[in-house]
Amino acid sequence: MFYAIETKDLVKRYGSRKALDGLTLSVPRFAVMGLVGANGAGKTTWMMSVAGFLRITSGSVNLLNEGPFNPAAHCGRVTILPQDSELPLESRPQELLTHYGLLQGLTHQAAADSAASMLKEVHLGDRINSPIRALSHGMRKRVMIAQCFIGHPEVVLLDEPLSGLDPREVAHMRAFITRRRGQQTIIISSHNLHDIEVMCDHIAFIEKGRTVRVATLEEVVGKDSTLVYRVAAEPADYAALAAAAPDANLSFDTEASDLVCRYDPRRFTPEDINRSLLPALLAQCDVSTVTRGDNLENAYLKNISATIT
Amino acid sequence: MNGIRQIWRVACYEWFDALRSRRALVVLLLYMTAAVCTMHWSINLLHRMEKELATMLQLPQSEQAGVVSTALWKSKQFQRIMKNVTQNDLVLRDLTGKHPVELIYAWFAFFYTPMLVVLVAGNRIAEDIGSGAVRYVIFRTSRACWSVGKFAGQVIMIGLALLLSGIGAYAVAKYRLAGSGTPDLLLNILQWSLRAWIYSIPYLGLAMGLSHLTRSASKATIMGIIAITFCFVISIVIRHFTTDDGWRAYLPYLGVLVPDDHKMYLWRSAAAPLATGFTYLVTLGFCYLLAGYAFFRKRDV
Repeated sequence: MFYAIETKDLVKRYGSRKALDGLTLSVPRFAVMGLVGANGAGKTTWMMSVAGFLRITSGSVNLLNEGPFNPAAHCGRVTILPQDSELPLESRPQELLTHYGLLQGLTHQAAADSAASMLKEVHLGDRINSPIRALSHGMRKRVMIAQCFIGHPEVVLLDEPLSGLDPREVAHMRAFITRRRGQQTIIISSHNLHDIEVMCDHIAFIEKGRTVRVATLEEVVGKDSTLVYRVAAEPADYAALAAAAPDANLSFDTEASDLVCRYDPRRFTPEDINRSLLPALLAQCDVSTVTRGDNLENAYLKNISATIT
Repeated sequence: MNGIRQIWRVACYEWFDALRSRRALVVLLLYMTAAVCTMHWSINLLHRMEKELATMLQLPQSEQAGVVSTALWKSKQFQRIMKNVTQNDLVLRDLTGKHPVELIYAWFAFFYTPMLVVLVAGNRIAEDIGSGAVRYVIFRTSRACWSVGKFAGQVIMIGLALLLSGIGAYAVAKYRLAGSGTPDLLLNILQWSLRAWIYSIPYLGLAMGLSHLTRSASKATIMGIIAITFCFVISIVIRHFTTDDGWRAYLPYLGVLVPDDHKMYLWRSAAAPLATGFTYLVTLGFCYLLAGYAFFRKRDV
């Protein structure tokens, strides 16, 4: 498999504290990968290390098969939306993005066209000549997102891209990023697991500067190995359910009122399980929905608690 | 080739952006105003002295300043006195050949350029590092191209400030001083702007080199002010405390590092000392910038 980014045993120290503690992570080409982890887990540090903003203490980075970040090799091919970074306040979006495009090696016309189309894409077509200083926080964020996609780079790193956007823009940006699946390698760091679930096809759980788990979204949430039944009340007779699906593992999430059924996807299809389990369940309580796979939040919490314990 | 193109793009954008920055614009306007006011006050002083002289000699007074001064400046007797004072034919020839307005402007430009540089450019790099704006650029071009481009942009900016101040000073002289409205004088004043511009380069290198070391724009400006004060003090120490023996005999070597010590090359008219001054000062500017860049190259942004 061709990886767009391969990082191995990355260590980044700040004095005695390790922000990255041997983090190993490979991102397949054209994947949209979500980085999920607690505050201070190392997601931003990893992105900044990949983009060459931080000097790593040890470990290796291989970006697009051309070694660590090097402007000569990666200029225009890798872009980033850094966290907590202001754009030049006196600049205008159109001229700023054109300037960035020129630095990436585009011709003046191509850079101007790309800037205009990206600004239109992020709903700022009417503010292209307003000073950044005069834009709201959300608008600035959209300019920051737009600059990442100038000139169609191969790798795009987005650190908290949707924070600070209004719900309409969040939905729009989610759709915008989802449309890019299969065309660009996009890595997204976010605390909003719903956004990650909608946009990403690969997930990496990062904790304490290390990778806890890296897999496809389907594997992480168990789309092929889990069925979730939302029920009106907890079933009273588990023995009857176990008899209906003898090789499945059943658990009940009291908070969400979900019966979670995990099974071996090599032996059963979801239809097999559903056919035998659902009648037994309906005999005991009402079932409002049946979903394939757990949600990402549960999957994350399960993985993290397994790591911590 | 690509690197030079990148530097040029960063420089053009930096210049354009600096022009819009309120702080740079205010300092630029203040500098121009100071040039115009200095010229105005100097001419007032000249006119008052001329009037006193005319009263003492019981000559008719001129309405415009400069009539007596220009005649005096060109007289052989005055030049003979100046020769005795300077004891240097080369400097004498260079200075007495100039119009007083040129010398007033030259003094102003050379004296205030270091401060102009620190106030306009001293914070530019630190500001971008502090705000994180640098992060949008250095994955599109190298850190070296960015640093040199920012420096080049500010070189252009200071050049513009000096050019405008020269034109302002000329306009005042033309209006106030008899026989000063010639195109030759304008060209000569602009030549002094050019010389002051060259003189600004090591200070730009120093201020922007220091700006690489911090994330705080105000800290960078303060560091720049301290640095130019330090340079000024060193040049005074060299001038007044050098002796022929002991450790003080080595003081002049420090002068190599101080822009002020190479300034006199730029006051000469001949091409050779001008070229020497240019080479020294530009090299010094780049050395200062490089020292700051060496730190920035390795730092986290």
